[in-house]
Amino acid sequence: MKKTKTSYLLRGTPSILLVLGAGFVMASSKDIRAAIGMGVAVLLSMLLSSIVVSAIHKIIPNYAKLPVYVLIITGFVTLISMLMQAFVPEVVDMLGVHLAALAVSAVVYRDAEEVADHNGEVKSIEVALVTGVFFTVIMVVCSLIREVLGNATIWGKEIAFLQDYKISGLVSAFGGYLVLAIVLAVINKVTGLHHHDEKEDN
Amino acid sequence: MKIKYFVITIAILLAVSAVFGAAAFALNLYTGPIIAAKNAGAANDRLNAVMPGGSAYEDITATLSDVPASVVKVNKETNGLGYVIEAQATSQYTGSTPMDIVIGVDATGKICGIELAGHSESLIFGADYPSTYIGKDSALADVGLYAGSTFSSTAFKNAVTEAMGVLISNNLIAAGVKSDAQILEELIPTVAPGYTKLSDATASGNIQKALKAENDTGFAYIMTEGDASYLALVNATGVCKIYDVEANDVTDAHEALVTEAKAHATANQKSYTDAFITKVERMMEGATEITSIELDTFNTVVDAVSLKVGDATYYAFYSRSIGFHQMDVYIIIDETGAIAKVDAKAFIFEKEYFMAFGGMNDAEYKAGFVGITSDTFTGEEAVIATATMTSNAMKQSVEDAFASFNSIMGGEQ
Repeated sequence: MKKTKTSYLLRGTPSILLVLGAGFVMASSKDIRAAIGMGVAVLLSMLLSSIVVSAIHKIIPNYAKLPVYVLIITGFVTLISMLMQAFVPEVVDMLGVHLAALAVSAVVYRDAEEVADHNGEVKSIEVALVTGVFFTVIMVVCSLIREVLGNATIWGKEIAFLQDYKISGLVSAFGGYLVLAIVLAVINKVTGLHHHDEKEDN
Repeated sequence: MKIKYFVITIAILLAVSAVFGAAAFALNLYTGPIIAAKNAGAANDRLNAVMPGGSAYEDITATLSDVPASVVKVNKETNGLGYVIEAQATSQYTGSTPMDIVIGVDATGKICGIELAGHSESLIFGADYPSTYIGKDSALADVGLYAGSTFSSTAFKNAVTEAMGVLISNNLIAAGVKSDAQILEELIPTVAPGYTKLSDATASGNIQKALKAENDTGFAYIMTEGDASYLALVNATGVCKIYDVEANDVTDAHEALVTEAKAHATANQKSYTDAFITKVERMMEGATEITSIELDTFNTVVDAVSLKVGDATYYAFYSRSIGFHQMDVYIIIDETGAIAKVDAKAFIFEKEYFMAFGGMNDAEYKAGFVGITSDTFTGEEAVIATATMTSNAMKQSVEDAFASFNSIMGGEQ
């Protein structure tokens, strides 16, 4: 498949990089409200961290980058958490410890360290926006499948005709990984990412 | 050089921390009050749900006297709309997790909202049972127990009564006035403790309300004679007692009521005598002179006979107590007052229903009662591990058999 800008950016989407984002997708995609909440939190923390990191990366000595970047991300996640606590407390309750865990997540750190640390503000913002939006979209797709088919609800409201047909396993951790795997397989098929990687490896 | 790196790193980290600390401080000035208001609102949501129009509440529990253990918190609606009581109730079903009940009482002393929060018993009650309390004053007129969930609904009703009682005893609301019929109906559990799961039967003549015990232990009637109301009880052996509203036994003064109540009961009472006699003959080989006995007890014993085996006289009692389901318990007591034999049909069913009882030995369990008298019975003999309700029912049956035996012998019941 032809190497496109989109496929390049998609490769940077946290939930596609399984080891980085799968845990968040699994834990936060049981309910579409939680998925959107986590998606927005990731997007904002990536965006704000990238802006600050790309602005100050030249004055931060290499040996201090890791703790400083982690501190910056933690600071932004804390501020975002405070805002969410004030305006969408029910979503914060759904996300539980996973929202706080975002502060020390490699999902956001990878973006700050790999992109913002080597590029200017414009490029960093572009990458953060695209990866954050795709992360949110994947979260929403997974949560739609899990909430509707696994819980027979949507946005917390019962879907009457599905009550007798719900697949409860989909809301378990196993179901989360299963749905993510299916979504990733579809994405790989559509975008040719996996095929592209193999050709690169060769 | 390493010290320089260390100092620079610390300085940068301190600077970043200071920036985010200041930002968090500033943001908290904005979000803090919003979060606090939402937290307060969330706590009030539970109270507002049972107090229409309610907004703010003051916890007045500490200012009240005689607060029973079932009342957790009494909240006063600050605009004078009434009170919201948070209560807890336990029954045989609740185990270690009590029912959380939130009761809204308006300023006139009527229940304006009631909710059973987060307990599996709500599934047993159905969603409609708590709503039958709405609009009632402390008299709780016409509020019954929930058929099929007597223990739970009794605990629920008691908790509501105690909650209302706190408001009344502290002069916060006026007590509801009970009608004579309601007072008499509420007397039934005291004077006829064996009557369980009362359901309406057809009333006629002086009978204003007829109630049938689902375990066939007898009938209760609210009857009128002149301007006065009376409670008439007829047990399964046909004995009748009449009580006035002050719980006095006035049977001798109301023969007409006795006759009418007995006639109604005779026409509607299910008889177990033939089957019971057959059962007794199986239990006591060589039984002769089996004779039915009238009982003046109103417990779970629905039939009693005397019998002879050789020269010895025995008394057999058939008790229909309620365990996990209806129990059929047969107890034979010798003339010295010691249990000679015990049998119970329901054990077979319980064992099949609860696989955990596979290790229970029916014969050993029943033999454990032999020789026990009313003085030596402790209740421990009836215990079946992990089967609290069946154990309690067995204990009830044995106690009732002893009470009926003592009544026959002219002793204390």
